Amino acid sequence: MRSLSVPASTRRSSARSRGKARTTVTAIVVTAAMALAGCTTGGGGPDKSGSGGGSSETFNIGIGVDLDSVDPAQQTTTTVQNVIDYGLEPLVKLTKQGKTAPGLAKSWDTSKDGKAITFHLRKGVKFHDGTPFNAKAVKFNLDRILDPKVKVPLRSAFEVITKVDVVDDSTVKLELKYADPLLINNLGITTSSMLSPTSVKKDGNSYKNVVKPVGTGPYAFQKFDKGSLVVYKKAKDYWGKKPYYGEVDFHIMPEANSREAGLRSGQLQMIMNPPVSDLKSLDSGSDLKVLKAPSDRSVFIAFNNSKPPFNNAKVRKAFNYAVNKKSIIKHVLFGAVDLMDSPLAKSLTGYCSVGSYPYNPKKAKKLLKEAGATNLSIKFGTPTGRYLQDKQAAEAIASNLRDVGVKVKVQTMDWPSYQAKTNLKKGGFDMHILGWAPGALDAPTQFEMFQKSDWPPNGLATAFYTNPKVEKLIASGNKELNTSKRNDDYCQAQKLIWGDAPWLFLWSQTLILAYSTKVAGVSYIPNEKFNTIYAHPAS
Amino acid sequence: MSGFWAYLVRRIIASIITLLGVALVLVILIQFLPGDPARVIAGMQASQAEVDQIRHSMGLDQPVIVQYLTFLGHLVQGNMGFSARMGTPVLAEIGNRLPFTLELAILGTLVGVIAGILLGVMSATHKNKLADTIGSMIGVMGISMPVYWLGILLIVLFSVNLKLLPTGGAQTLSSLILPVVTLGVFSMAIVSRMTRSTMLDTLGQDFVRTVRAKGVVEWLVVYKHALRNSFVPILTVIGLQFGTLLGGAVLTETVFSWPGIGQLLVTSIQARDFPMVQGIVFVFAAMFIVVNIITDLLYGVVDPRVRIYD
Repeated sequence: MRSLSVPASTRRSSARSRGKARTTVTAIVVTAAMALAGCTTGGGGPDKSGSGGGSSETFNIGIGVDLDSVDPAQQTTTTVQNVIDYGLEPLVKLTKQGKTAPGLAKSWDTSKDGKAITFHLRKGVKFHDGTPFNAKAVKFNLDRILDPKVKVPLRSAFEVITKVDVVDDSTVKLELKYADPLLINNLGITTSSMLSPTSVKKDGNSYKNVVKPVGTGPYAFQKFDKGSLVVYKKAKDYWGKKPYYGEVDFHIMPEANSREAGLRSGQLQMIMNPPVSDLKSLDSGSDLKVLKAPSDRSVFIAFNNSKPPFNNAKVRKAFNYAVNKKSIIKHVLFGAVDLMDSPLAKSLTGYCSVGSYPYNPKKAKKLLKEAGATNLSIKFGTPTGRYLQDKQAAEAIASNLRDVGVKVKVQTMDWPSYQAKTNLKKGGFDMHILGWAPGALDAPTQFEMFQKSDWPPNGLATAFYTNPKVEKLIASGNKELNTSKRNDDYCQAQKLIWGDAPWLFLWSQTLILAYSTKVAGVSYIPNEKFNTIYAHPAS
Repeated sequence: MSGFWAYLVRRIIASIITLLGVALVLVILIQFLPGDPARVIAGMQASQAEVDQIRHSMGLDQPVIVQYLTFLGHLVQGNMGFSARMGTPVLAEIGNRLPFTLELAILGTLVGVIAGILLGVMSATHKNKLADTIGSMIGVMGISMPVYWLGILLIVLFSVNLKLLPTGGAQTLSSLILPVVTLGVFSMAIVSRMTRSTMLDTLGQDFVRTVRAKGVVEWLVVYKHALRNSFVPILTVIGLQFGTLLGGAVLTETVFSWPGIGQLLVTSIQARDFPMVQGIVFVFAAMFIVVNIITDLLYGVVDPRVRIYD
């Protein structure tokens, strides 16, 4: 029953190929003896052999998500993007500050009407398989993610491109349907990362499904053992700054407590999302550290604005005043999130701080009375375990609401069922918890949540909110090429939305990393990604 | 032995009919799962066009009967279609994970059976004495300790504090030990309780007194004569246990980051990856049936009186 698609991995698979002998008592005895004889290298991946000079040490990271695909075009999850980013690079990079910076493109210029962008590519860059990176490669990759024959869940970010032209070896021109100030940010999403065109037909890869991505990045993909391990080795001659560690291993560990144990035992140097209740103890010793990286994900409660009681702004505001968000953040979320002060998370371009709804149950009661909304009974939906402490927070919020005289019924279900129910205008929840994260760190993707054109089934604006003034400001901002004018429009829109309170505004999530103090250089990008490419031992 | 072969052929034909039924139930059940699988697979930020295309490629816009026939058609050709989530052949993914699950199931059952029988016989032969009390305590603890909790405790002790064993994963031989022990404890508890009660029953029977009167050594009386005569119910429990473990001990796999098939099934259900769910459940059903047939045949080996095919 051994699968042929798994590349042999040193000790483990030689043990496997001995096959049936493994299932005897002797094997158990031998195993125990081996373990006791000091076979204690722990997660010990493949034998460590340096490549590309430098250190041959391995950096071990524990992640909680099993990768559904290592094909940049097909993935949908930030954690998966995060892993792919070690080996593949896009034309544009997103920085820690949430800005765009040159990636495989050195620079770009936009035509006067904004309907054409010309990219000037880095010269002399090669893919890990030796194929030169050039304009042809860019055209191949962009054409591929626009090709309807390939499954690209995040395609809509690129659909503005009508044509990719090879001008010369190091220049590419994109023609657009309309001026789209967003496209540069979107080209920083992993979806458009550059694969070697020749690799797409080799090693089990196909044009429709890449299982061994070959890129230009600082690390080269080695293998992916499904459900278990992803291995990267330092690339031989990377064009940019060279990383320290000879190997990076991603260990897939779905259980947060097991990840924490792996970190504490020294088998892992870093983990994603440790159990949130242990943050204090992880951060208090001298050998471990916690980093709460700001992210683009806002978590909120969407009111169903289309029907009573939430078609009345007073009721929506009352709910915002009734919830003691600061206390919930402190006691239920262990301080791991940031209170929202705008419909946009702080990391998004175009964000401006617009206000707050401080805890004020008296005011909440007064507003409810004015609205004639006494004796309210609310169906409140929450997912479990999709967002940080989601169900626990929902229970705390419900108890705050009961304090101001609202009857609340908290309901939970598994994600696919939940998502189907949140999309219902009638017969769904009265209000529900949701999270939203614009991966390109842009305002427009966040604003989709407040536009009629994105009401289900066309989109996921499940608050069913619209305001003609807001729609107009967003539309003019989205077309505006002048940054400061665009941000003015966006800021006004944020103020109006905040005042309308279509959501019970909660918090923006952080990406939580716990790592060993023996390591330095652990960083992040504010779209739920960690960045340890330049991690190194702490001196 | 012609009776034996006729019996086997009968059982195999019955199994095939059962599996056809299983496939039909699967296809129908999946229709009733709430949520839009295409939307789940496409992710929250995908456009409606993309979602519709995925729905079409999964064949979900077809009538149930067409979906059922497609599934059977795939089976006849010896494949199970492609995973909607991963885009890879379902059979290859199952082939990837099954060895890991088999490894745990076989070793876990082996540990559980050996320890459980020893424990159960000890309890039965020292009825109502200290050894029996201790044996019963271990048994009750093994049954009532949540696998998940026991697993975490073992990790804290052996990995975090003693730094002897890996916390999880499947890269080294030593990473087998903790999950096998965790599963073994549960099987041991169940097997030991069953062994104790049937052995008590057997040890009180006339033939045991006769064997003892012939002057046979006590350990032979217990382990050869009495145990063999108690083995049919014990075998039933072992068969059921093994069948369950084949279904991937999901919690154990999760705690120990073990890339088995149980984990894959849970992930696939959450992601509404129907082809994958169908494939895995179908393979489970087939394995369960095979284990059942083997258990029934072993009854006859252990105790010729219960042979079904003579």
